Amino acid sequence: MKDISLAIRNILGLLLLSLSIGTVFAATPEIELIIKDHLFFPATLEIPAGQKVRIRIINQDPTPEEFESFELNREKLVVGNGQTVVFIGPLQPGEYPFFGEFYPKTAQGMVIVK
Amino acid sequence: MVNSINRRSRLVFKAGLLIIVGLPMSTQVQADGSAVDKVYHPYVDALESEIEFRSLFQDGPSAPNDFKQLHQFSFGRSFGQALFAEAKVVGEKSRSGNFDIEAFEFELKWQQTEQGEYSADWGMLFEYEQEFSEDVQELTAGILVEKEFGRWSGTANLLLIQEWGADIKDELETAVALQARYRYTRAFEPALEIYAGQDSVGIGPAVMGSAIVGTRKSLHWEAGVILGVSSDSPDSTVRFLLEYEF
Repeated sequence: MKDISLAIRNILGLLLLSLSIGTVFAATPEIELIIKDHLFFPATLEIPAGQKVRIRIINQDPTPEEFESFELNREKLVVGNGQTVVFIGPLQPGEYPFFGEFYPKTAQGMVIVK
Repeated sequence: MVNSINRRSRLVFKAGLLIIVGLPMSTQVQADGSAVDKVYHPYVDALESEIEFRSLFQDGPSAPNDFKQLHQFSFGRSFGQALFAEAKVVGEKSRSGNFDIEAFEFELKWQQTEQGEYSADWGMLFEYEQEFSEDVQELTAGILVEKEFGRWSGTANLLLIQEWGADIKDELETAVALQARYRYTRAFEPALEIYAGQDSVGIGPAVMGSAIVGTRKSLHWEAGVILGVSSDSPDSTVRFLLEYEF
């Protein structure tokens, strides 16, 4: 029983420690990416090398879409007529393609890092 | 502000390490199993369900009651943007003989930070296990942390495990799983994994990958060979995982 109470105390401690890091906001440049008619606007995003960027994805379609990129190591769902954010970078110069997993034939784009 | 976040991240990481490293010195525990499982990533994909099959094959000397094969079948789905719940059935084939369905498990993963927002990404894992044929329960809580280094991703799972019941000695255990993964292509990502528990330490290579098989449908696979590096560890543990996400 002593072990169990010790375990519960440790579990609560882990929980509080982990929650505490989610309460701080970081100032990061933001750019907007619109989804409309299953297309990304703009289809090309230019960002500076070595800089973290927040992409605010605004879905103007009534259907959900998912921003996905293996090259950027990101996968994020945005509900229909909703919005979400994806953080990318700091990145090396280069081209990083992304696509919409629900409509991959039309929803395609590229992050160009200069 | 960023420095403040980094200080907090370092504080949480150090506290987690302190708990994991410090507890084995303060508790008397018995050897009762391998630490090899899989490495959990601290991310939840909204509106996703998955069916997963996981297998472990142990070889070499270990405690007599250790399994030789362990198979898990599970179904899981996400709830909102940050929670993923999974129910599992676990079967074992022991060295002495038969394959039996041994336990069920319920698991909850909780994504704590947005991927890439801070210097590292954080999540939590909770798991409850109940054996069918014996009065043995197990409760696990842990911290999941991942950090990108270019095309490399480093992941750590720091787990605290409480076992209790009439058929087991109440004990508190700790376990650590580490993975360094190179994101080479979607279908092929080589990795190095380390697993450490109360009575086993293993290290070995793993490969993993995914394939898109339909509109928001994908297959994910993992395979690894973990070699024991302590006298109480199994000589080798081979692990496989196949997951259908939809």
